[in-house]
Amino acid sequence: MAVVASTRFRAKRVLRMTKLLQLLAVGITVATAFSTPVAAQPPGLVASVATSVYDALDEIAALYRATTGVTVALNAGGSNTLARQIVEGAKAGLFISADEIQMDAVEKAGRIVPGTRLRLLTNELAVVVPQSTQQFTLAQLLDGRIARLAMGEPGAVPAGVYGRRWLEHEGAWRRVESKVIPFPTVRAVLSAVEAGRVDAGIVYRTDATTSAVRVVGTMSRKDHPYLDIAYPAAVIVGPSEQEAKRFLEFLKGPAARAVFDRRGFGRPDER
Amino acid sequence: MSAETWAIARFTVLMALLATTLVLPPAIAVGWLLARKTFPGKTLLETIVSLPLVLPPVATGLLLLWLFGRRSPVGQALDAIGIDVIFTWKAVVLSMMVISFPLVARSVRAGIEQVDRRYEHIAATLGAGSFRILRTITLPLASRGIAAGAVLGFSRALGEFGATIMVAGAIPGRTRTLAVGIYTLVETGREDAAWSLLIVSALLAFGAIFVSNRLIAEGRP
Amino acid sequence: MIDLSIDITMRQGEFVLTVRDRASVEVLGVLGPSGSGKTSLLESIAGIRTPDEGEIRIGDRVLFSSAGNIDLPARDRRIGYVPQDALLFPNMNVRANINFGRHVEGDFESLVKILDLQDLLERRVTNLSGGEKQRVAIARALMTRPSILLLDEPLAGVDRERRDVILPYILRIRKELHVPLIYVTHDEAELNSIADRVLRLGR
Repeated sequence: MAVVASTRFRAKRVLRMTKLLQLLAVGITVATAFSTPVAAQPPGLVASVATSVYDALDEIAALYRATTGVTVALNAGGSNTLARQIVEGAKAGLFISADEIQMDAVEKAGRIVPGTRLRLLTNELAVVVPQSTQQFTLAQLLDGRIARLAMGEPGAVPAGVYGRRWLEHEGAWRRVESKVIPFPTVRAVLSAVEAGRVDAGIVYRTDATTSAVRVVGTMSRKDHPYLDIAYPAAVIVGPSEQEAKRFLEFLKGPAARAVFDRRGFGRPDER
Repeated sequence: MSAETWAIARFTVLMALLATTLVLPPAIAVGWLLARKTFPGKTLLETIVSLPLVLPPVATGLLLLWLFGRRSPVGQALDAIGIDVIFTWKAVVLSMMVISFPLVARSVRAGIEQVDRRYEHIAATLGAGSFRILRTITLPLASRGIAAGAVLGFSRALGEFGATIMVAGAIPGRTRTLAVGIYTLVETGREDAAWSLLIVSALLAFGAIFVSNRLIAEGRP
Repeated sequence: MIDLSIDITMRQGEFVLTVRDRASVEVLGVLGPSGSGKTSLLESIAGIRTPDEGEIRIGDRVLFSSAGNIDLPARDRRIGYVPQDALLFPNMNVRANINFGRHVEGDFESLVKILDLQDLLERRVTNLSGGEKQRVAIARALMTRPSILLLDEPLAGVDRERRDVILPYILRIRKELHVPLIYVTHDEAELNSIADRVLRLGR
């Protein structure tokens, strides 16, 4: 039986619901419209890149678009998250990781196009302090004469893993371990140092140049060969393989190399 | 406000609207079940429904990533018919839906629980079937609770980050929502750009609270 | 005429209600102080509440039987129930309330006339007086042409002065519509003018 409703109260209700439905209908239509570019054209190239190379990649991608007209969408994140996404089938075409471990995981899962994995870049660790700090030496740090040291999480974040490796090599880990404040990202480490919340921090050399911090020491590849900080890159199995291969070639080329150099990344042939 | 900020804001709002629309029917169904029915396994259902509320969003994101990835039967089935979820806007909507579901379902449940059951009983004596009672008595009388739940769910969806970044990534122009955008910009050292996104997020939050308060106020005689 | 047969036991905590009665009447009065289980009895007959054991029959129809595992749902019992506080649906107006149940279109006019509801039809239910609410609730129940009408303390929400106004309506229902009534109250005086038989509950 239909309920006959004729009060003002009910009418207002119906009107409000209709408006809401209309709004939702519009929303759904437009949202669907958003999906059309993804469905109608072949999906553009998505490159999953570690956060520490994002800036450089952003610049290079702009160059790439200027010369070839192809847009590369950059998905930045922690290497472990990016690797996890790719292993689970995320359709990224290219993966640039901040350490070999994550790339190994992706390779083991059979997600890499064979023969495309290469060392793209290298980097170095740097110890940084707040700009206001007058005097601080590496010796101080290695002696443990420090209250708080910021690092990436030593068990998970690549920069933290390398940092611990360095300290262990110097025999300082036991002294310093209790002073370590772990952070989930290098950005967080830099923020902490910038704000003076910690006495010092271990970051990548390439990050230190873009921040308001003072570098007190850099662990060069020459002196610390065990710290092989390399950024592997590889083409991921999927619909964008050809595009990714072309982009990877560009990354190996001179234009991209100039950008990497300027930003302080090392070349892969340096061992 | 730059064109890019506007695009991200519009994208986020549309995704959140869609997510809320899609999540309402199941949330109403579950909310009604929990409010009105007893059955074996009810506690289990309550727990499962509350999971996205209790788990860190990243964990929920991980679950979704596995569920729709290439290693799960669901993911494989979708792949077979050509539907991509991970790294697409669908993943954004999905994360928003899953994360906001417990909030909406709980609000619906609370809204229905405060509807006097005797109205439903009387309706039954008048010959109305269960579905008719639900449609004409229970849900209309619970409409304020349901609407409040929808607004709450929408707000939560707007700000959703942890699960989204896991399943959808942070791809500009495709899956970068306001929250994900703010995080990514800060992470890559571009805090200045993050500010405009932050302001838009704050404005949207004000808007949602405003609507929510109006709904509550209309309830008072 | 009701041919009502009740033999039920209901337990709620320490409270036990046992009713055994067989009545063939037009108006059955149920008398008892508050807390004696009058509403529970009506709810059992209507199908809203389930007794712990026993049997409820109207004529040959078994509505409830614990032994026979029968419990007819309320919507199938064709029993009209007018609860103590009318319980009109707040989200509908008077007209919509009356028309809510499964009904025959023609009945609307006559019921509105019998219960004098013409001026109230477009009103919202929240602004009605106690007596008006009762009359609307009665109309709503009667629209479904029930085999019995249950009235739970119909005069309880009405001012003393107004009671004489409501009672005639109830008598009208009995006289003009011939719907058997079960009339529940704690006030014996009310039953004097209306009940053919009285069932007493209580200690």
